[in-house]
Amino acid sequence: MNISKDDKIKLAQRIAWMAAGFALIMAVLLIANFAQTKLNKPIDNKTIPELVKRLSENPGDETLKTEIRAFDLMARKAYFTSQWQIRTGIYLMFLGVIISILAIRYILAAKSKLNEIDSVEKVNELDKLVAQKWVIYVGSGLIALALGSGFLASNSLKDYMVNENIAVQEEKPVETAVDPAIQEQASTPVDQAVPVAVPTTTENAVSSNVPAETNATVVPAATIAAKPAGLPTQAELKANYPFFRGPEGDGVAFQKSTPTDWNGAGGKNVIWKVKVPKAGFSSPIIWGNQLFVTGADAQSRVVYCYDKTTGKLLWEAAADNIEGSPAKMPKVTADTGLAAPTMATDGRAVFAIFATGDVIALDMSGKRLWARNLGVPDNHYGHGSSLIVYKDKLLIQYDTNKSGKLIALDTQTGTTAWETARNSKISWSSPILVNTGSRTEVILTTNPNVNGYDPQTGKELWNIACLSGEVGPSAGYAEGMVFAANEYAKLVGIKIGGGTPEIVWEADEFLPEVSSPMAVNGLLFIATTYGVLACYDAKTGTKNWSQEYGDAFYSSPVYADGKVYITDMTGKTHIVKASKDYQLIGTPELGEKAVCSPVFQDGRVYLRGMNNLYCLGK
Amino acid sequence: MNQLKRYFLLISVMLYGAIQSFAAEAKQRFPKPEFDTGYVQPHTTAPSPRYMLLQYFDVLVLLIVLSVVTWFVLKKRSRKGVFWTSVFSLLYFGFYREGCICSIGSIQNVVLGMVDPTYAIPFTALLFFLLPLIFSLFFGRTFCAGACPLGAIQDIVAIRPIELPKWIQKVLGLIPYLYLGLAVLYVATKSEFIICRYDPFVGLFRFDAPYNMLILGILFLAVGVFVARPYCRFFCPYGVLLGWMSKFSSRHMTITPAACIQCKLCSNSCPFGAIDEPVVETGKRRSNVNRLMTYFVLLPLWIGIGGFAGSMMHVPLSRFNQTVYLAEQIIEHPEVKNDPKNIDVRTFMSSGKSTEQLVQEADTIRRQFYWGGWLLGGFMGLVIGTSLINLSKFRKREDWEPNKTNCLSCGRCMDYCPVKKEE
Ligand code: SF4
Ligand code: SF4
Repeated sequence: MNISKDDKIKLAQRIAWMAAGFALIMAVLLIANFAQTKLNKPIDNKTIPELVKRLSENPGDETLKTEIRAFDLMARKAYFTSQWQIRTGIYLMFLGVIISILAIRYILAAKSKLNEIDSVEKVNELDKLVAQKWVIYVGSGLIALALGSGFLASNSLKDYMVNENIAVQEEKPVETAVDPAIQEQASTPVDQAVPVAVPTTTENAVSSNVPAETNATVVPAATIAAKPAGLPTQAELKANYPFFRGPEGDGVAFQKSTPTDWNGAGGKNVIWKVKVPKAGFSSPIIWGNQLFVTGADAQSRVVYCYDKTTGKLLWEAAADNIEGSPAKMPKVTADTGLAAPTMATDGRAVFAIFATGDVIALDMSGKRLWARNLGVPDNHYGHGSSLIVYKDKLLIQYDTNKSGKLIALDTQTGTTAWETARNSKISWSSPILVNTGSRTEVILTTNPNVNGYDPQTGKELWNIACLSGEVGPSAGYAEGMVFAANEYAKLVGIKIGGGTPEIVWEADEFLPEVSSPMAVNGLLFIATTYGVLACYDAKTGTKNWSQEYGDAFYSSPVYADGKVYITDMTGKTHIVKASKDYQLIGTPELGEKAVCSPVFQDGRVYLRGMNNLYCLGK
Repeated sequence: MNQLKRYFLLISVMLYGAIQSFAAEAKQRFPKPEFDTGYVQPHTTAPSPRYMLLQYFDVLVLLIVLSVVTWFVLKKRSRKGVFWTSVFSLLYFGFYREGCICSIGSIQNVVLGMVDPTYAIPFTALLFFLLPLIFSLFFGRTFCAGACPLGAIQDIVAIRPIELPKWIQKVLGLIPYLYLGLAVLYVATKSEFIICRYDPFVGLFRFDAPYNMLILGILFLAVGVFVARPYCRFFCPYGVLLGWMSKFSSRHMTITPAACIQCKLCSNSCPFGAIDEPVVETGKRRSNVNRLMTYFVLLPLWIGIGGFAGSMMHVPLSRFNQTVYLAEQIIEHPEVKNDPKNIDVRTFMSSGKSTEQLVQEADTIRRQFYWGGWLLGGFMGLVIGTSLINLSKFRKREDWEPNKTNCLSCGRCMDYCPVKKEE
């Protein structure tokens, strides 16, 4: 058989067309398949989580388990089959492309021996001149572009470093007034008996020996004198809810018959609900019949006092006209805000702090006792540490990007009783008060230290470096053991009281990021940002159980009446029995997002959501 | 010229010596993490001998392929031979070895070997870097003609090549220099292997490119039907080095096997615009010389301004560095610290480092980019300045000749020449 050259070319043409068409079909199929698998990844499958949810409600259901397994296997098989299809499809498409290209090349070669390229008109000298011109244009264009983008690009690294300097300058006026006195104290913490008067509330702050009583511009001296004398007793404190995470700041509420069932949206067991005028993430505190929260925005920082029984707003007081308070609000993130720290009270006065560094003391009727600015904290999220009161001292953990301090202010006058410089990085945790039997300590967590201080003098009692990162969780305490943890660091159990404090165990399976550890009855509870509540043996650090709820925990677990309450960010409160075995008691919903910790008083729960404050119970 | 070559060989040997001596000190780069969870560390295993052997086998294949192509181009003068060798290279280095190891990417290994004493450059990578350059120094870019899989895949699809106006070729021809400069800058700052990352064809070789790289590869091939070998001519950073070497090659291929008879038959044969035509000086001699002198005088200015512009670019340029990017992200959006899905942020958080430390580190890297920017910009200024000088230089040429820098030694033009080899 003798095939002519023309026939060969025709055949090659046909092959080229067919192969090209085949490749095109493959391409279309591939794109369709690709889109399909993009849409149906087994990991995004909606059915399985649905089934798993049903299983968690019904853990014993064997048929459901088999169903889930079968479904999972099916989804995976489907995925891998389509992966295989894509691969094979690509190979086939390429085969088509290659065949058609070879055929085309054959045709071209067969048609004429040498194919010339499509050329352009050329005039050598002129072309060179044009090319020179263009090289100059493009070269200059590149340079202009580089210069322009260089000028426009802001170097936020430099800004970050420069910003710190700016912050220093802003704070200067206050700093100069306070510093000399503070430095003296920082090295040798002065006993409360010799308080150093550092009046910062007044315009006269510069001349630091003006007595505090002259602050008449803000508060009449008479108000201060009218303050009830004496310190709150231990029993009084325990009966109320004076601090963040309860009377000792460690998450244990001494309350009975706490409710377990409510529904914020549906109104079930909602005794009252009010909208707090300004936003804030501070949890409520309670004394007697009064409940206090703070709220803030760029315009003002406000303390609100509600009637605990009815939810009626009794009074509100703005923290304004404070010497040294910044005119421009410090930059804070939305999830911290300007009013994150929880207030504190000793039953004689209430105390509040804001991200501006403003501290304010009000008497129970809302009259200002004193106010001062501690220097705007250099804090890239916003100041977060809550207040606590020991006897006649308001304790403030003031760990900023610039320095770390523990400050004690006289509750009556606001003057600095003592101030201890801390060798620490910035933190967002709050002080807790611990009675070890032999003495009372205030315990702080930060990067890298967990340390105990004498609340009377500010003297550091002990110090263990064990944390890292940006520490948000405060310490937990029970029966001679301090618990500290931070995400990406570790969880430690530290034995204090009797001998040098030392780490007796460490764990790292579940670590909290914001929520604080809470220990009670030999058990330790940890709530993580990825939605797990874990229970450890407080003595040994062995895990008793862990439960994944899925929604993040920012608020801290609180113990009350044999139960542990922990509210997740969606507003669901998971109530479990405080025991070695996991036992869910209820999961009542608030109906709005929440990051505050629940507060207990007289058989009721007070919970602050993103917008509203609720009183829940019967 | 011969002396120059000898120097190059000497430098190659010294380079190898220097890098190897660094390698001797190289220890495990990161200490093993300690786990308290009872996890047992697996033993470090050396790569299997077969794997090592395969690597040396690759070098051998490269050497053979280079020799064969060179033989086809210079001795046999056979375009067909070159073509089929390149198909073999495409199949072997491209599809079988999946585009890795590759001479183009080896630039980065070499640079890293020079700046990072803890990095031991694999011997094979070094050979892949040097062999084509050495061949090029003697015989022209025969590597491009038949050994480079990237070149081969583009060559195959070049079905209807058109000629681009000179000014477009010149302007686009600046890109490879920029690419080379950037590649070196990013390796020297230990930021990124951009040549590998943006290799448009490796995805095709492996059949599993990320979607957009696959599209880019297909795009290059589609353009390559009309604009022959677009990657080679307007992007390839290794091509720059090969071009430099090839410029000095004494045994470069010629279009005609004997004496050019000025028939002009080959003038439209090169799809890559790599044939220089005969030139006779036109225009006023004086003004030509003046222009050339001006360009010479302006050269330092180009370098200076280019360097300054490059240094100005250091902020945006350094954003492609992981650390700098992370630091900026954390400063500008501190809320990312709470994002459980952001792996980089999580890794950083778990390292226990403070934001300040991170910012410090990022700032150090950014400063490196500042000086790197000066060098890169100065280099680009030099490239632009010299390309202007080259464009206005007048060198008398009587015959049609391949431009040694740009000619890929593909051998197409040889078939057009009616002069036959004297036996
Ligand atoms: S120019 Fe670069 S990509 Fe093209 S063949 Fe040469 S080395 Fe390969
Ligand atoms: S060998 Fe000829 S056709 Fe091929 S690149 Fe060189 S000049 Fe062009």
